Amino acid sequence: MRPQRSRPGMILSYALLSVLALLFLTPVVMMLTGSLKPDERVLTEAGTLAGFIPDQASLQNYTDVFTRTDFLGFLINSLFITSTIVICGLLVNALAAYAFARLHWRGRDLLFNLVLALMILPLEAIAIPLFYGVSLLGLRDTYLAQILPFIANAFSIYLFYSFFIGLPRELEEAARLDGASTLRIFFSIILPNSKPVFASVAILSFLMWWGAYLWPLMVTIGPEVRPLPVAIAAFYTLPPLQWGDILAFGVMMVAPVLLVFLLFQRWFVRGVAASGIKG
Amino acid sequence: MRPVSRLNDQTPSALLLVGPALIGLLLFVLLPFLFALLTAFTNLRLGSPLPLEFVELKQFTRIFNDPAFLQALVNNLLFALVVVPIQTALALGLALLLNQGLRGTAIYRTLFFMPVVFPMSLVAVVWILIYAPGPNGMMNNLLDLLSFGQWQPRDFLRDPLLALPAIMLLSIWQGAGFQMVILLAGLQAIPQELDEAAALDGAGRWQRFLHVTLPQLRNPLIFVMLITTILAFRLFDQVQIMTRGGPNNATTTVMYEMVETVFTRQQVARASAMTVVFFLLVLVVTWLQRRLVRQIREVE
Amino acid sequence: MPVQTTLCLATLLLFISGCTDSNGIQGGVTSLEVWAHAGQESERNTLKSQINRYNTEHPDSSVHLTLIPEGSYNAQVQAAAVAGDLPDLLEFDGPFLYAYVWQGRLQPLDELLPKALISDLLPSILQQGSYQDRLWSIGAFDSGLGLYANRSRLVHTGIRIPTLDNPWAVDEFNTILERLVRDDPDGQVLDLKLNYAGEWYTYAFSPLIQSAGGDLVSRRKKVAAKGMLNRSETAAALHTLQHWIEAGWVDPNIDDAAFTTGRVALAMGGHWNYSRYRESLGKDLLLLPLPDFGQGPKTGQGSWSWAITSNCDKPEEAARFLSFLLRPEEVLAMTDANGAVPATISAIDRSPRYQAGGPLRLFVDQLKGGYAVPRPRTPAYPVITAEFQQAFERIRSGSDVQAVLDEAAGVIDLEIEDNRGYPWLFTTEER
Repeated sequence: MRPQRSRPGMILSYALLSVLALLFLTPVVMMLTGSLKPDERVLTEAGTLAGFIPDQASLQNYTDVFTRTDFLGFLINSLFITSTIVICGLLVNALAAYAFARLHWRGRDLLFNLVLALMILPLEAIAIPLFYGVSLLGLRDTYLAQILPFIANAFSIYLFYSFFIGLPRELEEAARLDGASTLRIFFSIILPNSKPVFASVAILSFLMWWGAYLWPLMVTIGPEVRPLPVAIAAFYTLPPLQWGDILAFGVMMVAPVLLVFLLFQRWFVRGVAASGIKG
Repeated sequence: MRPVSRLNDQTPSALLLVGPALIGLLLFVLLPFLFALLTAFTNLRLGSPLPLEFVELKQFTRIFNDPAFLQALVNNLLFALVVVPIQTALALGLALLLNQGLRGTAIYRTLFFMPVVFPMSLVAVVWILIYAPGPNGMMNNLLDLLSFGQWQPRDFLRDPLLALPAIMLLSIWQGAGFQMVILLAGLQAIPQELDEAAALDGAGRWQRFLHVTLPQLRNPLIFVMLITTILAFRLFDQVQIMTRGGPNNATTTVMYEMVETVFTRQQVARASAMTVVFFLLVLVVTWLQRRLVRQIREVE
Repeated sequence: MPVQTTLCLATLLLFISGCTDSNGIQGGVTSLEVWAHAGQESERNTLKSQINRYNTEHPDSSVHLTLIPEGSYNAQVQAAAVAGDLPDLLEFDGPFLYAYVWQGRLQPLDELLPKALISDLLPSILQQGSYQDRLWSIGAFDSGLGLYANRSRLVHTGIRIPTLDNPWAVDEFNTILERLVRDDPDGQVLDLKLNYAGEWYTYAFSPLIQSAGGDLVSRRKKVAAKGMLNRSETAAALHTLQHWIEAGWVDPNIDDAAFTTGRVALAMGGHWNYSRYRESLGKDLLLLPLPDFGQGPKTGQGSWSWAITSNCDKPEEAARFLSFLLRPEEVLAMTDANGAVPATISAIDRSPRYQAGGPLRLFVDQLKGGYAVPRPRTPAYPVITAEFQQAFERIRSGSDVQAVLDEAAGVIDLEIEDNRGYPWLFTTEER
């Protein structure tokens, strides 16, 4: 516990927090109420208090979204792409980090330095040549092009590495003396002792790829493999412009994640915080 | 470092474990990057039937004489210069407010963090509505209210002076929660005794913040500023959806120019040259950050 | 555990890669891949039902449609072309044709389509679809561009209604705008569809420039922008447009409803606006020619059109589908949905909107009467339109017109030079 604050200090803190919370919340509330209104009233009332009162609320916009777009298809695409990247990424990067942190082998330091160096190359720095390569291979508009390049991730390896290096050596020693294979040690000893770092990496890469826009915009063509972030931008440009429908699309797009976030908030917060601790 | 000799037998299994990740990184990060380095010196175009030529530094002289690209660099810098301090200060303020052990902290934290789970493309689309021009627009109305009727309705995203600040504002809204959580964790890692000792020595709250909290928070702060700076250089989604770089290049960015160069003009080589410049920028920022951290470590 | 994971991964990979190839002939059914733009809702639905009709009518073939957002259409096609990933049949906005032909992406149509069909096409369709003496693309419809007006607002303000022979001159039009502004609560009386951005800028505003005696590029054998895009006539027309915008007379139309909700009295627009406008204004809806900036009224032409790609290994089958789309009843089905001008004379004669005396006859008169100017027919078109769009965007937000045009002309000419003036690299026999 921090030292007790004076009463006026506390009131001031609450006042500040509440004003800020209101500002943070306004766009979200507007989105929700707007999604329940007839299209033509969304724009005209957005600025007034009436904009936040969902009188005559109806789910018409929501049904419109389903008739005007293949929302479920986009949702499935997003879920499939993101979860594949996250799950495969956990496995691939954790295994690599384990080898870097706990095994002794030739070329380890050299290769680890390479990984550290690659950490500073964000996707944006390679998007153009990667796009050209994917185009040459004819892999545009596939799931593969949206998944495969992003499974291996230098930052994830680094996060795993930082965690594994801190695990006590004794954990493995006994198993190693029993003659257990490296893979077995990893799965039966390291993995169960590393849940926090797995949660962190999973959440960070989920946040990153769930919202990814640039890359899928570049490599998707039709709606078949289009993920939600590109889909909502495309929906916004699809005539006729109907704000109610767009906001309904937005609500449905964010609702599942928001729900997961609210349920596993502790993990989200820890996961994000973990990315910064090492600095 | 322990001698490797006795444990040499781990090399095969290590390679097996590292293999998939390394192949992925080489194939999808290193190789494309090297490709960009090479093509930046050619005339490569998407779909051109003309032969490929080596053009030396032509693409670089072209982009550095291109007013749109120069404006993009300026915009990225402006974005970083404004957003990084404001967003960090806001996140720090929020973290400090939430670190007092007040009741209801968890609820506030949830609210401030919530925008982080909103994909940026959704945020951009929703904020187009918030910035709707005319007196009915939400932002226009809010400013009208705050200025007691003095505000003249503006078309934010079409206004050369307001478009970039408008994009900055929603970026701060979406990103502050992420930083707040990192800083909050940093605050909670500060040993309680330090603060208490300073308080016993008669240091005021402000002094304790300056001389105890801030120095202890240096690394998370630098980290948070680094990722925000790099995000500032990666700025794309909001621009592509809300303004397409306009009006009059007021919101264009290096990333936006890069993608436009390939997509509407098929000039792969020129975009590769931009990629190289972009990479150098990121490199400089990262290098500065590492230097800063190292200096601090040396001082300590 | 590792076994399960490996299995999991393997099925995953199978699933991912399984989704990538779905081409070719399966069970005696020829499949045709078709790409089209995601336009208006009614247009999309019509195309889908046309494809359904074709598929039922021809059990031996299966047409598969992919709709692509308009905004990035050309870019997507270019990228697909690099990989040889183009579909069999490709729709694109007409003036992009010349770049595709120059790159060798298309097959000529003149020997694949029935002669009777070709001679039935509107001259503007043939004009747009031809390059290097061959016919490469045809559309099921052409476009119409004009000025929609609210009749009672004009009558109320005492404004005369213009015709193609007696259009509003630009000075007269300026006075009309001023008078309308005086009667208007928010002072915004004109909708230039500024919300469309993109290709609309080039399509809609270059006719005003041409009417003033300017153009995007010189149309001689050696295409160049300098001396044309930055000449004083071009600048004058754009100054006028900038003036309207800066004076606050133009509704930004971000809700795409400036005209239907009655906020403005005049709306520049195309054939695709007709259905909605008619619905909200009824008898009050008027269609007028664009104002005359000096050289007579001009208008746009050209629209989405179809071509068979060089990837297509069954061009006869593709041509059969194209001929189906150009049957009078199919042309009419499409033009009923999007309001466009039917591409064939026989369909125009059967169209209540376009036959003589029809409410949209003006569009046909413009296309047949030489008022419509095709967009520059050169492989440089993608860069010309991209530069013009950017230039217009800057002019619209208040930049110095002449400086912007000089700069754009420089960029366009540099691009032409970089491509060595687009030398013709293929003899038609080669394909």
